Amino acid sequence: MKAGVQDRILAMFSWGCALVLVSGLAAVLGFLLVRGAPALSRELIFGSVAPLDALLLKRQVFYGIFPAVAGTVCLVVFSIGTALPVGLCAGIWLAEYAPRLLKQIFSLVVDILAGIPSIVVGLFGFSITIFLHHFLNNRVFPCLLISALALAFLVLPYIIKTTQTAMDSLPLALRLTAPSLGASRLENIVHVLVPAALPDLASGVILAIGRCAEDTAVIMLTGVVATAGIPKSIFSSYEALPFYIYYTASEYADASELVKAYGAALVLLLICAGLFGLAHLARVWVAHRARVRT
Amino acid sequence: MVVFSGAALLCALATLSVLGFMIWLSLPVLKSGMLWQILTDPWSPDQGRFGIAAMVVGTLYIAGLSLVISFPVSLGCSFFIQVSSPGLWGRLLKKLVQLMTAIPTVIYGFVGIFLLVPKVRDIFSYGSGMAIVTAAIMLAMLIAPTMILFFTQSYARVPRAYTDAVDALGGTASQRLFYVILPQAWPGILTGVVLAFGRAMGDTLIALMLSGNSVMMPSSLLDSARTLTAHIAMIIAADFDSVEFKTIFICGGILYLMTGLGVFAARLSQQRDRS
Amino acid sequence: MSKMKDKVKVKVRQVAFHYGGHQVLKGVNTDIFAHCITSISGPSGQGKSSFLTVLNRLWESMDGARASGQVTIDFGQGFEDIYDRKMSLPWLRQQVGTVFQVPNPLPMGIFKNICFPLKLAGEKNKDHMRCQVEQALKDAFLWDEVKDRLQKDARLLSGGQQQRLCIARALVLNPQILLLDEPTSSLDETSVAVIEDLLLSLKRQCTIIMVTHYADQVRRIADHRFVLSKMQLKQVGDE
Repeated sequence: MKAGVQDRILAMFSWGCALVLVSGLAAVLGFLLVRGAPALSRELIFGSVAPLDALLLKRQVFYGIFPAVAGTVCLVVFSIGTALPVGLCAGIWLAEYAPRLLKQIFSLVVDILAGIPSIVVGLFGFSITIFLHHFLNNRVFPCLLISALALAFLVLPYIIKTTQTAMDSLPLALRLTAPSLGASRLENIVHVLVPAALPDLASGVILAIGRCAEDTAVIMLTGVVATAGIPKSIFSSYEALPFYIYYTASEYADASELVKAYGAALVLLLICAGLFGLAHLARVWVAHRARVRT
Repeated sequence: MVVFSGAALLCALATLSVLGFMIWLSLPVLKSGMLWQILTDPWSPDQGRFGIAAMVVGTLYIAGLSLVISFPVSLGCSFFIQVSSPGLWGRLLKKLVQLMTAIPTVIYGFVGIFLLVPKVRDIFSYGSGMAIVTAAIMLAMLIAPTMILFFTQSYARVPRAYTDAVDALGGTASQRLFYVILPQAWPGILTGVVLAFGRAMGDTLIALMLSGNSVMMPSSLLDSARTLTAHIAMIIAADFDSVEFKTIFICGGILYLMTGLGVFAARLSQQRDRS
Repeated sequence: MSKMKDKVKVKVRQVAFHYGGHQVLKGVNTDIFAHCITSISGPSGQGKSSFLTVLNRLWESMDGARASGQVTIDFGQGFEDIYDRKMSLPWLRQQVGTVFQVPNPLPMGIFKNICFPLKLAGEKNKDHMRCQVEQALKDAFLWDEVKDRLQKDARLLSGGQQQRLCIARALVLNPQILLLDEPTSSLDETSVAVIEDLLLSLKRQCTIIMVTHYADQVRRIADHRFVLSKMQLKQVGDE
């Protein structure tokens, strides 16, 4: 029967493709696990310095990836700290205030923003540095601040889109409740809509955090270096985990450095996977709370 | 209200200013009338030639090949998730694919160098193993989750009424797929492909680490090549006042326009999907 | 109750309404009487709910809705045009409250739900608020059932209780007019009876305008009956 043959071909093709994908993934992850697991140890992160001393910034870590991890953490904090308020407000405007035509235009702008390659965002950050260097202060150089702002620019579309989607998917009945009781538009947004959209927002923010932590191209053009220790201020250069991995892969001097790179790669992977898991939990929590309604 | 629209305005201005900056910083080059040479010459700074033609071609080859590799696999996986095994296995694969979106690109590049490059070198016994093909394979893995998730979303948007009708008339899974789902969902598939291509063109690390970065115009898939993105990353270390340096802004401008075009194309096919 | 003795509370003149590109109301003219229950019935999807939103301008919070015409309401100082520029929307909605078809308690405790509109209106005195909440719950025939668990999440109440909560929440502002959109269609028989008794008792305090598609409900409690069909509101014989 023709239908039977067609079905069998479809089944074979789809199983085949699934296996190709899964084996590719297994190869990548397995390889990293096998080579990187032996490197996971306190020395990997803190070198020969006691962890407590390093965390309290009492002593510098030279042979561990702690400075890179610290740099990544600082980056994430500053970039999300900038992107979150701006993105949230822009997303709320898009969902609640924008007239139809402007909404479409701005949506397009956000899509374009989302599509800009990360290296071009890095280039943009670099251009801003040049601009400030020429017109403002000769001592402006690529640094943590500029990288954080450029990264904020990179994840802005994620936050705007998440906010817009979360607010737009709130049911009409909920949207009309507060206005029917005499609330102004702003009161409705602040007291009812944003709290209701919070879990979806949280999930989106966590994914944005992941994006900041893993990006390499932007920071390469805006101030990351191979050795700088813990960032002293937001105007100083800094290290970051993804750059450490890239840099060691291209310029490792001996086997032990390479092993550290494997360990670092595994650490980065675990961080990103962990953040993904957190975002998933946030979504599950939404489903649970929705079930509370009888 | 002012706060909200102000934030939106800020974002819009920033997006447009990216293009603005690219153009502004390329002005010296544009003014000197060298634009045509830059777009068509080969790259050899010592001879005063700063053409990025080889890089444009390199980008297209690598992104194109990765799409060619990734599209059938992604399509098959989307069939797997939606049609052939919508139960446990399908859900498992979908979760796995979602997890894949969290993997950093630098990891793909890193593993590519130490796992894939030696294999390519051995299999083809040609060159160093760092070539278009190597980068394309890893890039294919990077863009596959984007496509798969987009495809399955489009299948899910096909009205249940249609799929129920096929089932009620005794249709099989493959008939449901070919006669109802695909004809309805193909705009979504197209959008997914366009977005994935944009992503492939815009990636830096994988190409930088795996494609060899040669400045020669590539003539075969086993040749080393350089993408526009990797080119920017490499030239950034050069002398600021040199002409080479100024060409990177043209590269940036081209990339911005290419991905912008991709976004428009994706929008258009999405409009068709809605109707 | 003779129609002659009732005072007019709401005057609706030449109201038209468009939603989602379609016209649902055209040239609607009518008078609504004070301290009566006015029912509006008719085939579904014809614009009954839309008509309610015209009476307190709630349609302005809905995407894609457009209304025209004139609505004047006598709040005690003569008839006022509610579409006048000077009309304060929050105040209007405090005077003309809405109860929706599906109960929509906010995700908070029972007490907080009823307090919410008071807080919006700027009430700060905690004792005053407690009194008003208690009174509203009593007026809504709900006080005895929830007085011991005011902190419990309102969403854990049964359907009928949730609907009475929503009525209490609308009542706490002492509205002059209460709009109810199919208030009992998602409830079971016993709850329906309780709500109908409740509405009859509320006639003393407010003017009630109710959308319903249950003919027997109309017969049981409505003083004035309208049918909405072909985008027009037509009065049907009174009891």
